[in-house]
Amino acid sequence: MWIYEKKLQYPAKVGKADLKMAKYLITQYGGPDGELSAALRYLNQRYSMPTNVTKAICNDIGTEEMAHLEIIATLVYKLTKDATAEEMKKADLGGHYADHDNALFYVDATGNPWTATYIQAKGDPVADLHEDMAAEEKARATYQWLIDLTDDPDLKDTLNFLRVREIVHFQRFGEALNLVQEHQNSKHHF
Amino acid sequence: MNEMNRMMLRLAQAYVPFQVYVNRWDPMKSLMMGTIFPELYRPYYESMRRG
Repeated sequence: MWIYEKKLQYPAKVGKADLKMAKYLITQYGGPDGELSAALRYLNQRYSMPTNVTKAICNDIGTEEMAHLEIIATLVYKLTKDATAEEMKKADLGGHYADHDNALFYVDATGNPWTATYIQAKGDPVADLHEDMAAEEKARATYQWLIDLTDDPDLKDTLNFLRVREIVHFQRFGEALNLVQEHQNSKHHF
Repeated sequence: MNEMNRMMLRLAQAYVPFQVYVNRWDPMKSLMMGTIFPELYRPYYESMRRG
C-alpha cells in the first residue's frame, strides 16, 4: 500500500515552454531507461529477492521512481503547456498531437511507446541486481545528455537532482548485491 | 587492484563498497544536493563531456 503526498519530491520549474526539449525529456517518462521502466522493474523484482533487506531496497527505490515519474510528467506538461497544433508540428511533435493532443504519453524521445520488453525479472537476484545497477547508470547518462540539450537553468537544476538520485540508487543496489552474494555464499558453508 | 586482491575477493563477481556513515548535510541542503551524504554527491559538469 502507498500513502500519497500531494507535493513533488523536488520542485519542477521551467523557465519557459520548450516543445523541442519536451520531446527529448519524455524519454525519461516512457523510454527504455526512464522512470516508468525503473519503477515497474524494481517494484516487480522485489518479490523474488531472497532477503528482507534486498526486498526493501527494491521497494523503496521503486517507490521513489514513482515520485520521479511525477516530476518528469510535471516538467513535460509545463514545457508543452498551451502549445498549438502548428507549434507542435514545428517541434516535430505533429505525430504526438495526432495521437494524444497535448496529453502525456509513455513514449521515448522518438515516439516509440513504452514496452515491458525494456525490463526483466530473471528470478536470479544477482542477475536482477546487475540489471538494476546498469539501469541506474543508463538513467544517469540519460540525465547528462538531457542536461546537455537544454539551456534552461531551472530545468537543469531539477535534472541534476534526479541524476544524483541515480548515483545514490546505484550505491544501494550495489550494497544489495553484496548482501545477496554473502547470503548465497553463507548457505553453502552451513 | 592489488589492494582488492589482498582482500581475497572472489573472481567473476562484482563488488560495490558498503557505505560507512561519516557525516551528513542538514535536510534542506540535502534536498538541494540530491543526497544527505557528501561522499555520494558527484555533480555533472557539461565540460566533463567535451573535455
